[in-house]
Amino acid sequence: MTHHEPLLGMVGYKMIGGIKMSEKKPIFTPVSEKEVTRAIVAGFARQFIEYVESDCLIIGGGPSGLMVGRDIALKGVKTLIVERNNYIGGGFWIGGYLMNKVTVREPGQKILEELGIPYEKAVKGLYVADGPHACSKLIAAACDAGVKFANMTIFDDVVLRKGNQVCGAVVNWTPVQALPREITCVDPIALESKFVVDSTGHDACVVKKLEERGILKTSGFGAMWVEQSEDLVVEHTGEAHPGLIVTGMAVATTYGLPRMGPTFGGMLLSGRRGAQVILKKMKKK
Amino acid sequence: MNDFIHHIPAWIDLYKEGDLRSLNLQNLGRYLEEKTGVPFRHQGNIYKKYSEKKLEALAKKFASIKVKDPGGKFSLGVPLRAEIDYERRRIRNPGWKVFGILYEGVLYQKLVSDLIFEGRLSLDRCSILFTNQLFGTWDRDNWRYHARVSLYGFPSLISIVGLVEAPAKPKEFYLRKQMGTPIESLKEEYEGRFLDHGDSRMTEVLKGYAMQAFLFHLTGDPFCEDRNCRLFNSHWQAEVLHSQMDGQYEFCPRHEAFIKELKDRSPFSSLSYLSTSCQEADDSITRIVNSR
Repeated sequence: MTHHEPLLGMVGYKMIGGIKMSEKKPIFTPVSEKEVTRAIVAGFARQFIEYVESDCLIIGGGPSGLMVGRDIALKGVKTLIVERNNYIGGGFWIGGYLMNKVTVREPGQKILEELGIPYEKAVKGLYVADGPHACSKLIAAACDAGVKFANMTIFDDVVLRKGNQVCGAVVNWTPVQALPREITCVDPIALESKFVVDSTGHDACVVKKLEERGILKTSGFGAMWVEQSEDLVVEHTGEAHPGLIVTGMAVATTYGLPRMGPTFGGMLLSGRRGAQVILKKMKKK
Repeated sequence: MNDFIHHIPAWIDLYKEGDLRSLNLQNLGRYLEEKTGVPFRHQGNIYKKYSEKKLEALAKKFASIKVKDPGGKFSLGVPLRAEIDYERRRIRNPGWKVFGILYEGVLYQKLVSDLIFEGRLSLDRCSILFTNQLFGTWDRDNWRYHARVSLYGFPSLISIVGLVEAPAKPKEFYLRKQMGTPIESLKEEYEGRFLDHGDSRMTEVLKGYAMQAFLFHLTGDPFCEDRNCRLFNSHWQAEVLHSQMDGQYEFCPRHEAFIKELKDRSPFSSLSYLSTSCQEADDSITRIVNSR
């Protein structure tokens, strides 16, 4: 056996990931645990303080929420997405029946193209892409546009002002909700924004909270009708209540529209429509 | 079959709502005229004369008659702003393409009736609205709403979307759809076995439904039990295509004779009005109506 490179522990160097490393020194710069902790806390706190007040607070980091965020952040709108899970992307990682291919119907593939997501034609008018590729590209596009995230953060309530204008959300750590109240009672905190977007899927959490308060009444979604629900969801996307924009599946729940199936074009286009509504309203303000 | 004729109308008025590109209304009107001897008028978009002032109220009415739970008791909804805005956009845009909301058919008909007749119902006009929207009626047999192709009355409503969605497709189509086969693939596979949106056969098929509307206007009985007759009340796509396109005859012998007799009795059977001025035609109609 011939070694073309010196072995670890011998005097010389070793290539790791294209980086020339001296074998006499450790690979990584030594830092103490406390420095790591300070870096995490400081970085998080700095961003959190900055985003306690934003232009747009998006509740739900699924495809429609990410699309709204990406489109408005590209126009310089200060945007924070609140996501209850650790991971961003909602159901966009997988298609129907836990299979990781996602489908979009014409003209949804134009957004895939815009985001640089590879896809192929399944049949006329239907396109298929890899869920992981599509979802990660959309998340990256939102991040690149300047969207910030508060993941593991759950929506708890709305912040209302005069005339029941929605202008923020009350949030808490997601794990707090999983613990019994006897063990922990952690009060939530409030974030303020000019607009709140409900992109929480068919739960329509923000809309439901307004319903609980008797401010508006939802209809619940109907049976699945993929062919027509996507059009209807896009057409109904908009301001459901002053300060509250509803996108994606939450639209179907709010207005009693047929449920969308595992095709995502409607969610992406609904997100885009939601962004257009916000930008138009911000221009007016 | 009820062959008691209440009143032969002076006109068949054809109205349209939304995107109806797959339907040739002129062609359909000429067919009705030829079969019945009653002249038709293409009245165009049903909302064309509707004033901007009344638009908000009408949009609100349409938004409140959506069937949100087909299996539950219908109640008038209190629409949200976005639902009213949606209806407003739909009404204002004569080429509106989006559909999928199931409206309560009888209430839909009432709203349309108010637009057409403005409270002065006239049997002299057999009014038919062709729409690209979907309506349903409550079925007392199985206690749920069902989408319908047509709802006959004053006016009669015929839905081109209902024609695609209401009559059942082949059973295996639904089984395979449930198993996750994309609808686009199924459409390719079952092409021709049912009507699809934008289908080139739409005008031909709708001629039969328009005749049903006319028969309802005359007798209150639009249907025939013969599955070869265009007046057959089809529940399956296969039945629709058979009765409207591939039946042994256009109308069953009884209805054929009835329609022929009707045409002979019609004051317009020679279509001589075509060579007269509009005023003369109107005078002629008035004289005939008064003489009955």
